[in-house]
Amino acid sequence: MTTLAANTTGIARLAWAAGLVAAASLLHWTSLPPWMPAMLMGCILWRFGARLLRWPLPGPWLMRILTLTSVAAVLAEFRTINGLVPGSALLFVMLALKFLEARAPRDQMILSLLAYFLVFASLLDGGGPLEGLFLLAFIAVSTLGMLQVGRQGTLLATRPTTRIAGKLLIPAAPIMIVLFLLFPRLPGPIWSIPGTNSSATTGLSDSMSPGDITNLGLSDEVAFRVEFHGQPPPASALYWRGPVLTNFDGRSWTRPAGMRRSVEDTIVTQGEPSEYRVTLEPGARGLAFALEMPTAWSAQSRRHSLRMTSEYQLLIATSDRPNDRVIYSVTSYPNHRAIEPLTASEREIFTRLPAGSNPRTRALVASLLEDDPDAATIVERSLDVFRGSDFFYTLTPPALGQHTADEFIFETREGFCEHYASALAIMLRMAGLPTRVVTGYQGGELNPIGGYHVVRQSDAHAWTEAWTPEDGWTRVDPIAAVAPERISLGLTRGNAAAPSTFAGRIGNLTILRQAALAWDAVNTYWNDWVVGYGPALQRSLLEWLGFDRPRGHHLLWLTVGATVAMLVGLTIWLGFASRRHEHRDPAARVFARFGAALRRREIDLPHPGETPTAYAARASRLLPEARDAITAIAACYLRARYEADASGAALRELKAEVGDFTTRYARASR
Amino acid sequence: MFAAATQRLEALAATWARRRQGDDAHAVTLQRRRIYILPTRHGLVFSAMLFAMLLASLQYAASLAFAMTFLLAALGLVAMQHCHNNLLHMIVRLGGADPVFAGEEAVFRLTLDNGAGLPRLDIVAENADSKAGPVDLDAGASATLQLHRPTAKRGYVELSRFSVATTHPGNLFRAWTWVHMDARCLVYPAPAARGRPPPAGASLPGERAMQRREDDDFAGLRTATPSDPPRRLAWKVYARSGQLLVKDFAGGVEQPQLFEFQALRDLDVEEKLSQLTRWCLDAAEAGTAFGLVLPGENIPLATGERHLHRCLRALALFAERP
Repeated sequence: MTTLAANTTGIARLAWAAGLVAAASLLHWTSLPPWMPAMLMGCILWRFGARLLRWPLPGPWLMRILTLTSVAAVLAEFRTINGLVPGSALLFVMLALKFLEARAPRDQMILSLLAYFLVFASLLDGGGPLEGLFLLAFIAVSTLGMLQVGRQGTLLATRPTTRIAGKLLIPAAPIMIVLFLLFPRLPGPIWSIPGTNSSATTGLSDSMSPGDITNLGLSDEVAFRVEFHGQPPPASALYWRGPVLTNFDGRSWTRPAGMRRSVEDTIVTQGEPSEYRVTLEPGARGLAFALEMPTAWSAQSRRHSLRMTSEYQLLIATSDRPNDRVIYSVTSYPNHRAIEPLTASEREIFTRLPAGSNPRTRALVASLLEDDPDAATIVERSLDVFRGSDFFYTLTPPALGQHTADEFIFETREGFCEHYASALAIMLRMAGLPTRVVTGYQGGELNPIGGYHVVRQSDAHAWTEAWTPEDGWTRVDPIAAVAPERISLGLTRGNAAAPSTFAGRIGNLTILRQAALAWDAVNTYWNDWVVGYGPALQRSLLEWLGFDRPRGHHLLWLTVGATVAMLVGLTIWLGFASRRHEHRDPAARVFARFGAALRRREIDLPHPGETPTAYAARASRLLPEARDAITAIAACYLRARYEADASGAALRELKAEVGDFTTRYARASR
Repeated sequence: MFAAATQRLEALAATWARRRQGDDAHAVTLQRRRIYILPTRHGLVFSAMLFAMLLASLQYAASLAFAMTFLLAALGLVAMQHCHNNLLHMIVRLGGADPVFAGEEAVFRLTLDNGAGLPRLDIVAENADSKAGPVDLDAGASATLQLHRPTAKRGYVELSRFSVATTHPGNLFRAWTWVHMDARCLVYPAPAARGRPPPAGASLPGERAMQRREDDDFAGLRTATPSDPPRRLAWKVYARSGQLLVKDFAGGVEQPQLFEFQALRDLDVEEKLSQLTRWCLDAAEAGTAFGLVLPGENIPLATGERHLHRCLRALALFAERP
């Protein structure tokens, strides 16, 4: 009987531990190589097999070998154990092995701590609202587990455990919120982390080689979100300027090194400015994007600072935290002129081409120049080349050989923005016009629920910029000439040849589309207020609370004070609940006196569950000389306590009897 | 070494608590000022983990990591309150202890009363020699725990200090209280080995003629009185009818015996007491009337359980006057 109870208890404990371990590992399953979850499942299965089917568990030597092998496997997989992902992998493997050998309560303690750490590790690189929900669920379940594992006696039934967990979690929630809001956050990391560049990032890079790409994979990933203050500019003006590529080696366009001059004061503005706030998703690697042309900018956090290159490109002084979301505000003038004064040597740089490349294009440009050498019209006439012929916009162009512009213009005539921008830039450079390629994003989708624009990786774009002494740098977008709908509608919805991305496929299903928009809005608010909650928001919170010039120690005192206040409140509340219900019944009080008198004659107080009659019988047996008095008192008590006793006669009688008994048999002698 | 230091520290704390709390009555309501609380080893490791998490959260400035750290910290703080509250206002009552013979374990009964409308879980009572529990108390329920003390010699054995403790919920904290009740258990002398018959001269002279008649003729049943020896009770009849009857024997009572302390000249005091204890037990078992003659105390002839305990009590507390 007892062994059976112990057995079922053991199985229940094991099931709890297994559930916790599996839940803790869940967030890592996608980011780790598949053998790791498989190993964890194997360990859990092995443990259950040992429990139920008496499979042998590994001995200490096999355990040591397993541990060494797993660490070696993690090392082989990642070449390091430094960093978030390899560290998590190691933790993951350790958790699996620990589960296999966890027997003593101490092991279970280590197991629960490992599980907490594993979940914690998955939250260090950000985490969206779903991860937040998962965290809450995990803490709730792990609290149940903690209660069960921490039990001295047998496991509790589910219902009381849940009730206790609720009693712990509900008061914990406001304390957690106060700590979250008020605990002082640091503006920078405590120690610098070695480079975490290994994590693959999508997005624009510092170079462009259109001839090499035969399939432009477009992802729906968000590049950044923009909130306009006031009326946003029309879609055709949404050119988000990114890396500017000036050097061409025949295949690749690359960014120049170094600063030529400060160009901030060369922008001549016209018309109304656009003011907006950009929230960059992590992984932008120091690139910032702004509408052409930005005239003023500021980063929200002190950790980030923005500057402008000599190509009118904004860069962020990168933070040490690659997973930060950078938020910055910009004022841009869609109507502008960027009149950078170029020296002769600079003009040479912007017209430089590798010798002997693209001979057929060179001949074409020469013939155009022969018709009319005017630089102002050469741009339009070059664009006409792409407009007039049967050029085709596609995201899956054929590969190009040595002379990319020749092959594109005269043979394949299939390509996407990079092909057109590159070919046009080559032509303009051949015509002697200083030209460069600008990459960035074009357009952006308005999320009507959140009231902001979402710019995705699939909105990536490249265009050309040509320089004339009068107008400075002017944008020339060949795509606007060839496929204008691409500019006004956005790429994925504007072109039939676009690959069917998820957003593309659900584009027509309005309900799904609405849901996707709503979800994006949820994510945005989450990023703004939860993930983005840092020193800046904390400072505004303190100012809102009435602190004039908030400091770190204000926060610390507020945190401590608020937490202590809540704990004291909880103490008072709990003390109330646990207060003994005093005997309100006078008969019960008199009977308790009688019990105290019997106690003096070494007769135990009523045992738990002993009725007054049984108690009296026991007392009579031990004190036969007082049998009549005891029986009378018990009967009297039952009358006074449980029968209608309006006159109080029974109570008076009880008092008299007890007093009498005390003087006769149990005088308080000591 | 660490364990020794902990023990010394605990002893110091206990002495301090004793001084500030004073003696307790036989029923104690656990008030706030006498409930102490410290983290368990698990709790210490848990807080170390929280500290590491806090550092990592600051390092990565990860909001959800902060949230998890703070939620666990808040959970720990609330658990501390609940652990303390698990004992607060509980009533610890001494239920008494039945006399034992020297060498046996004295058993002290403690009754825990949960007068509150909340359950109390995982309550443990512990003294230097034993540990009782864990026990769960439902709202308004009571439970009895037994603490043991070894006994070596007759007289009284004190319960001395014991603790009532809990690590619920989650084994993060241990809340406890020290109780110092003036509780003692009577210890009878250990009975000597069987074998030495009571001296014949101990019998009363007038009743010598009644010796050895046909004792065992069953005469019938009569209603039991509290003074009847248990072995004469008609248990089978009781089981059938529920009526407590006594077997009457035509042979009448066996010869009454008077045991004298002074008659055992060859034994020392404790051996004498042990021998007298043995004889009292044997006589009570046989249903014979017996009496005890001690220096300074005479217990007249009688039968019955109360009489036996009276004799044993006298033997247990016997002190030779100078």
